[in-house]
Amino acid sequence: MNAEYAIETDSLAKVYRTRFRGRQLRAVSDVTLRVPQGVKFGLLGQNGAGKTTFVKMLLSAVHPSAGSARLFGREASEPEARRPVGYLPENHRFPTYFTGRGMLDFYAALSGVPARERALRIVELLQLVGLQDWGDVRIKKYSKGMLQRLGLAQALMHRPQLLILDEPTDGVDPVGRRHIRDVLNNLTGTGVTVFLNSHLLSEVESFCDYVAILHKGTLVLEGKMSTLLAGRGYRISAAQVPENALLKLRSLDAAIASAGELVEINVATREQANRIIDEIRAAGGLIESVAASNSSLEEVFMRATAVEKAA
Amino acid sequence: MTVLNALISDTFQEARARWLFWGLFGLSTLLICIFLFVLKIDLVAGAISIMGIERTQHALDITRFVRNSYAFVSVFLYVWGTLLAIFASSGLIPSVLEPGRISLLLSKPITRPMLLLGRYLGNVLVVALNDVYLIVSIWIIIGIKTGIWERRFLLAIPESVLMFAVLLCVVVLVGVIFESAALAVMVTVGLMFISTLLAQRAYVLKMLDSEWSRNLWRVLYWIVPKVYDLANAMKQIIVFDRQADWWTPIWTSAIFGAVVLAGAVRIFQKRDF
Repeated sequence: MNAEYAIETDSLAKVYRTRFRGRQLRAVSDVTLRVPQGVKFGLLGQNGAGKTTFVKMLLSAVHPSAGSARLFGREASEPEARRPVGYLPENHRFPTYFTGRGMLDFYAALSGVPARERALRIVELLQLVGLQDWGDVRIKKYSKGMLQRLGLAQALMHRPQLLILDEPTDGVDPVGRRHIRDVLNNLTGTGVTVFLNSHLLSEVESFCDYVAILHKGTLVLEGKMSTLLAGRGYRISAAQVPENALLKLRSLDAAIASAGELVEINVATREQANRIIDEIRAAGGLIESVAASNSSLEEVFMRATAVEKAA
Repeated sequence: MTVLNALISDTFQEARARWLFWGLFGLSTLLICIFLFVLKIDLVAGAISIMGIERTQHALDITRFVRNSYAFVSVFLYVWGTLLAIFASSGLIPSVLEPGRISLLLSKPITRPMLLLGRYLGNVLVVALNDVYLIVSIWIIIGIKTGIWERRFLLAIPESVLMFAVLLCVVVLVGVIFESAALAVMVTVGLMFISTLLAQRAYVLKMLDSEWSRNLWRVLYWIVPKVYDLANAMKQIIVFDRQADWWTPIWTSAIFGAVVLAGAVRIFQKRDF
């Protein structure tokens, strides 16, 4: 894959209209996001924040009302753009008439994997997710945790370059959760981009190295996890920062949360803080405040989702 | 081709798992058994024997009798088979649109029309297999019993499959819009009855008093699939061995099916899941 980013969205938005009254419900608003290749990216948000709609727009299950989405540089609406993508949906409903083996075979065939390779890969993946003894059992007999693991195997069958997991551990017991985490940790260093959609802060904090927060359909924060959680860092508040300056700040390893005119920027070091301030002022922005910070992801999340109320 | 095969095979598996496949074959087998039983009844066997004797006296034409039987059975199988197939397949489209299932299917590198087409073809194949089994079995039974092998009876196979394929387009359209198996059955069976009613235009047009209503009737007649006309054409071909107009009901029904299916695909492409 030659593209720099696994996922790129520009002002992506989705507005649903109710069938009879035509009332508008804004699920996702103007989300511009870049997910570099090979990273573990977490999309956080409360239930109903628009995370699943965002993911479904990436996969063309939902048509955007505005903006664009690209996967590895290809328009997400093109079927070929989805070939390198493995997906585990939230609240999946795998057909219960399949055996574990049959289900993996079916979805891999849809991904274009040749029959011979499918046969080998099924054995390999059932082993990986610990279901080697369950391959010939109908999946209606599977527990929730087993279904999640099988779903994960399904997403990995065609050796995807981008793995999109929507609430992968939701409703799974701690042992099953651990198993899923182990499988995902095995992907580290393989070049696979993992996009984890979750409302579980601890899960994202322990696994991801990039994070973004969606709140009421709006992207309120994105950045490197290490920057956000630096034991000691700096929080800069600024106003009237032009969009092109924000793009530049993102490239400087800054985590940026915005709501209306106010922008909150988190950086790890004093040098970075000074550079950011220089960039903002050079672009015509106004510094509102600079403060030392000491954050956990929970604090970052609470602050990011509260910025809107304060603004 | 792998993708289309996978989608067709998935439809087969689902039809089997939901007992639709076996239900169709079970009911067909039951019908075959009833048919065998009826032919064993003394009265029927006697009638056939008598006609065999009478045939030598040129009083009755056994060939004509058998052809009439063939025609009657073919129409019966056509109506029975089509209704049964519609009931059996009505749930196969809504089931694939269930949340959590459709989003995973759409995440694969396949187009939406391909997904719908695979499902559609799978359905048609399930029903076609059943039609072949049922109609060929009945043909063999009548042939063995009477010694007359009326090959035109086998026209009931393409006829039934074609009409089912056309009506399945309606099932798909209703399924894609409303995701309701019951509604799909209601609309499709309703359409069959309306089509039969509209086909009685020779009588009805005489009774209508305004040109406007007569034109409306004609337009509706030409739009809907020709369920009745197709059965009638087949009956004429079998009984009278003459050139009935079978082509018109076929092409008009096929156009109806193609337009409805195209509409279903269009709606499916635009929907959010």
